[in-house]
Amino acid sequence: MNSINQRSTNTSTGAPIGAVPPKIVDLRDVQLSYDGQHNVLHDASLVLREGDFRFLTGASGAGKTTLLKLIYLAHHATAGQVQLFGQDVSTLPPEALPTLRRRIGVVFQEFRLLDHLTAFENVALPMRVMGHKEVAYRNDVIDLLKWVGLSHRMDARPPALSGGEKQRVALARAIVSKPDLILADEPTGNVDPDMGAKIMQLLIELNKLGTAVIVATHDFSLVKRLQMKILRLKDGQVTLHQPLSDIAADAAGRGTR
Amino acid sequence: MTTSDPVLRPSRATPLLPEAGAAGTPLTVVIAVLAFMASIALAGYFMVSRAVHDWTGDLSGTITVQIKGATGADIERDATRAFEVLQATDGIAGVSRLSREDTEALLEPWLGTDNLGPEIPIPMLITAEVTPERRGDLDILRQTLASRAPGASLDDHSLWNDRLVGAARRGQAVAFVVFSMVMGASAAVIIFATRAGLAANREIVEVMHLVGATNKFIADEVQRRYLTLGLRGGGIGALLAAVILFLSASFNREQQGLFLPNLSADPLMLFWLILVPILLCGVASITARLTVMRVLGEQM
Repeated sequence: MNSINQRSTNTSTGAPIGAVPPKIVDLRDVQLSYDGQHNVLHDASLVLREGDFRFLTGASGAGKTTLLKLIYLAHHATAGQVQLFGQDVSTLPPEALPTLRRRIGVVFQEFRLLDHLTAFENVALPMRVMGHKEVAYRNDVIDLLKWVGLSHRMDARPPALSGGEKQRVALARAIVSKPDLILADEPTGNVDPDMGAKIMQLLIELNKLGTAVIVATHDFSLVKRLQMKILRLKDGQVTLHQPLSDIAADAAGRGTR
Repeated sequence: MTTSDPVLRPSRATPLLPEAGAAGTPLTVVIAVLAFMASIALAGYFMVSRAVHDWTGDLSGTITVQIKGATGADIERDATRAFEVLQATDGIAGVSRLSREDTEALLEPWLGTDNLGPEIPIPMLITAEVTPERRGDLDILRQTLASRAPGASLDDHSLWNDRLVGAARRGQAVAFVVFSMVMGASAAVIIFATRAGLAANREIVEVMHLVGATNKFIADEVQRRYLTLGLRGGGIGALLAAVILFLSASFNREQQGLFLPNLSADPLMLFWLILVPILLCGVASITARLTVMRVLGEQM
């Protein structure tokens, strides 16, 4: 796929072999509260480097979506330090945030597609807001939509798409601009197992090319099968775990369901 | 892929912000009405300006000498002398003396026909064209006329001109104020509509931000929309005004010869009406842009 090939070219000038990859996300003692009293995140810390792939797990309401929102700059930390791509976001002027957001592809749990745009136009949205001409991204968007099995639905608008189709459009939109970081909130939640496996395979391929990926999920069979490191969110804090063995997966699954 | 592949159809990009809130057709109608009012005000300004220019130009280029006397013989004597003085004065040309018949015709609306016997001393009128240089210095002519023809009085129409120009200036000021108020009202309407549109499209704006849109990009999108809206509404309003003015001009042409100045529109003035949609475009797009930048700036 063009987008993946181009991404490969982009990362060929990355860190030297053996060097520690640069930090993409660096959260230190972050607190986040919606009401000023109850902290959803409490002294949460995590480091994500270029090329890392992490599952983000936790019970419902643990704050997985909140943590992702903090990283894609939809929320601001009430305390602590948030660094993205080596920059402390609290010191950046508001007009600098779009540049950071363009390096992050997000698959929203609720899709957040624009109903008045076609599937093609929704996928092309990040390219359009970056000021690219359609001729520059048209083929990439078409390839992506074909890859997610929606070549016949390019002119359809979201209200006419099924949940699974919306999910696939949202995924294509998240990766069309070849971001350095992909945040996926339950990306397989609305698709059939085959498409779910395909989506995860794409994320893994992108990850192998250097893209950092965080996948928030409740699907422990997925976590168990792919054997990636896990960020576990509990009591507002993030802990890093090694890939689950089958037994551990069963135990963890029981604890978070 | 082949060119017959439907996905390769050239596409026309859908506006990222759909028409919502107070934007769209209702706002186009409002802008059209405002443009109509602005066009009429602008046309009024230019019509008054042109009419006064034409009228005062005619009057300031002429002088009138009125000759009165106790008897017809006195009037005739002084009229002849005044005529000679005017003809002999530099900067005076086209001296024309109204005959008794012409004068009687002028008085006919008030005195009727055949009511003026030959014994009644009717004042006589002499008109002449005057150069601007001579018009600036009519005192010597007045003194000469006073000594040669005591019954003659010179009227340079300055009193009438001054009053007319004063009235015209006031009329132009009113037209300008109306025009400015309409433009101000347009800006206020656009501010309201832009805020309503942003509120109605809040989710879309948020998604655009999250995929990396800058406030400037969103402002560009909104500005483009209001530019089109200003052009469309402004064009409709100005066109309607032009039609009304054209009909009014046709009516005025039929009324030529009345005492009132001609307030008809001319093609050059209609050309100025093109300014209205252009100005409204500017007001609408700049106001919308500033509003978006302000609202989004407040939200950050």
